[in-house]
Amino acid sequence: MMAHIYAFGSVCRGEVTPESDVDLLAVTQGIDQRFNSDLYSVYSYARLAEIWSEGSPFAWHLSLESRLLYSPDNSDFLRELGVPAAYTSAARDCQKFFALFAGSANALRARTNSPVFELSTIFLAVRNFATCYSLGTGLPDFSRHSALRLGANSLVFSSDVFGVLERARLLCTRGVGAMISQDETASVTLALGEIEGWMRTLLITVASHERFQ
Amino acid sequence: MNDFNNRIDAQRNILRIVNKRHWRVEELSGLSNKAIDRWMLANQIDATTRLAELIRVAGRALFFLANKSQEQVTDEYKHRSQAVVALMYEIEIEIECSY
Repeated sequence: MMAHIYAFGSVCRGEVTPESDVDLLAVTQGIDQRFNSDLYSVYSYARLAEIWSEGSPFAWHLSLESRLLYSPDNSDFLRELGVPAAYTSAARDCQKFFALFAGSANALRARTNSPVFELSTIFLAVRNFATCYSLGTGLPDFSRHSALRLGANSLVFSSDVFGVLERARLLCTRGVGAMISQDETASVTLALGEIEGWMRTLLITVASHERFQ
Repeated sequence: MNDFNNRIDAQRNILRIVNKRHWRVEELSGLSNKAIDRWMLANQIDATTRLAELIRVAGRALFFLANKSQEQVTDEYKHRSQAVVALMYEIEIEIECSY
């Protein structure tokens, strides 16, 4: 059965750390049991063509940061798709990730019994929010630290607190790293207002940016 | 269940139920296979218990829903969305029974 295999993400940016993994994409004709979904993001050719035409952030990510590893016939499927459609939903997507952040912030303030999951979700919300913002304002950054790389609009934040969020993400997804202590959870909970303020400011910026496009 | 935030909510609800029980060493941090592996190892949970099996199945179902390789309108997609809700109730029953 035909398939194309790509690497994407941090390895293509040359950002390699002991914690980083290698993101692999398999493009298949349908359900293809050869690809372990723990190791690969598996998309059908039709679905990728669809997200290309939607101009989704993932299409832009693959378009800008992927490398072909295997092709059955020397073709490069993603390159042949051309440039994705314009990304026009930055404000809506940022709002969605703000809502995701708010849900986890509320859970942490209410002393949830699953703090690591909520901290991990905050990391995810902050990262995706920043990525969508950067893509919507024309300077895409898909890195794990996108929130810290927005120039004057970067999240100004204690590196210790950011480190706790990053560790929580690794615990939640890859099950590795030292467990988060109650004190560490408390330190992030105290800083939630700073993240919220940063997001609210950028929501206004991204909405006005879209209005003038 | 086809919205990203809805899937996070589903995962949150399942974790809240599982972590209602005070685990000896570590809470369950997520429903990825690796997070479940870690939690089971840390708390010495037998992989053959009904609770462990249900959590593993719920994690796989959520992962399937997140993986866009499948068209979201397929019957299997709908079936797995409904299955996650049913699994959550089954997990709750298992947790309540284990008190």
